Amino acid sequence: MTWCWFAVCEDRPVDALASAAFTADDGRGCGFLVAWPSGHDEPVGAARIDGRAIDPSGGEAAASLALAPPGMSLLFDDIAVSQAIRMALSLPAPDALSTLTQGDTRYVGAVTVVRGEDTGRLNYDPFGVLFPAWRLQVGAGLFADMPAPAGPVIQRYGAGNPWPFDRFGS
Amino acid sequence: MNAVELVPGARFPDLDLPDHAGNGRRLSELAADDPVVLQFYRGWWCPKEQAFFRRLLPLQDEAEVAYSRVVSVSVDPPAVEAAFRAGLGARWTFLSDESRRWQERLGLVESTDRAHRPYLPAVFTLFPDLTIHRAYNGYWFWGRPTNEELRQDLRAISQKLRSDWEVPRS
Repeated sequence: MTWCWFAVCEDRPVDALASAAFTADDGRGCGFLVAWPSGHDEPVGAARIDGRAIDPSGGEAAASLALAPPGMSLLFDDIAVSQAIRMALSLPAPDALSTLTQGDTRYVGAVTVVRGEDTGRLNYDPFGVLFPAWRLQVGAGLFADMPAPAGPVIQRYGAGNPWPFDRFGS
Repeated sequence: MNAVELVPGARFPDLDLPDHAGNGRRLSELAADDPVVLQFYRGWWCPKEQAFFRRLLPLQDEAEVAYSRVVSVSVDPPAVEAAFRAGLGARWTFLSDESRRWQERLGLVESTDRAHRPYLPAVFTLFPDLTIHRAYNGYWFWGRPTNEELRQDLRAISQKLRSDWEVPRS
């Protein structure tokens, strides 16, 4: 088990572990979603993501990216975050899902990934209640197919680790 | 085929079954590194199972913060399990043995119900390596564990499992 750094970038960095171009469904923007290994120096504006969500050989996907505006965050232990995770466990499992964390205590968003024709799972993103969610089309080279969270655990396995990262130690 | 012996100290087979969403899962993957309550139930239609699930649901609110897993198994198809799970408000994983691939091997066929041929109701508490801590025969409702018994089991397993159960003193 490991985690990765994850950020939205205007350009594709040369030192990334994985990256993919994205476009927002509503035309609000485009750019690159980028992941770096946990051992990399913390990239500017990056958050931690469950490493199982990242796969440089992963195919293209649709995604909902709920992201805190710059300078904003919530305590991960905020009951609103807990409730969003409960809701995520109640909904059909996506192909990949991770919260995004900063430091030991802060929640700054979540990414939900689905593939194939049925992207209806993204119509309601429980994490979009906390911070604005973008609907994105994401190119190949970034997102994995990861096991659905087993539930019912909503806690992080160690401070700073993003949920669902599902065991202690990394 | 001889049924495996499901007694305390024995290793529970690493079930490989589709979950309620149809994704292939393994019991060991669902357990990760946490204690597990593994429940076999007859089906959505059984009033005794409905009553028992209503008992388990409050335990979910504790398990979600206590690094403990719950897994429920039946011969219902995944779509039926998904509907039952959603109706209950359960946020743990259900496994479907619709093909009855594991039922006979586990020796958990309820032979007295020839109409449904359901799983014999049973509950096991497991270590993460699937070693059985306790086994409960739920054929008669009062044979099933109370939540207090499950708490005691999960405490005992956690106590052996967590190297820092005794508070670290630095």
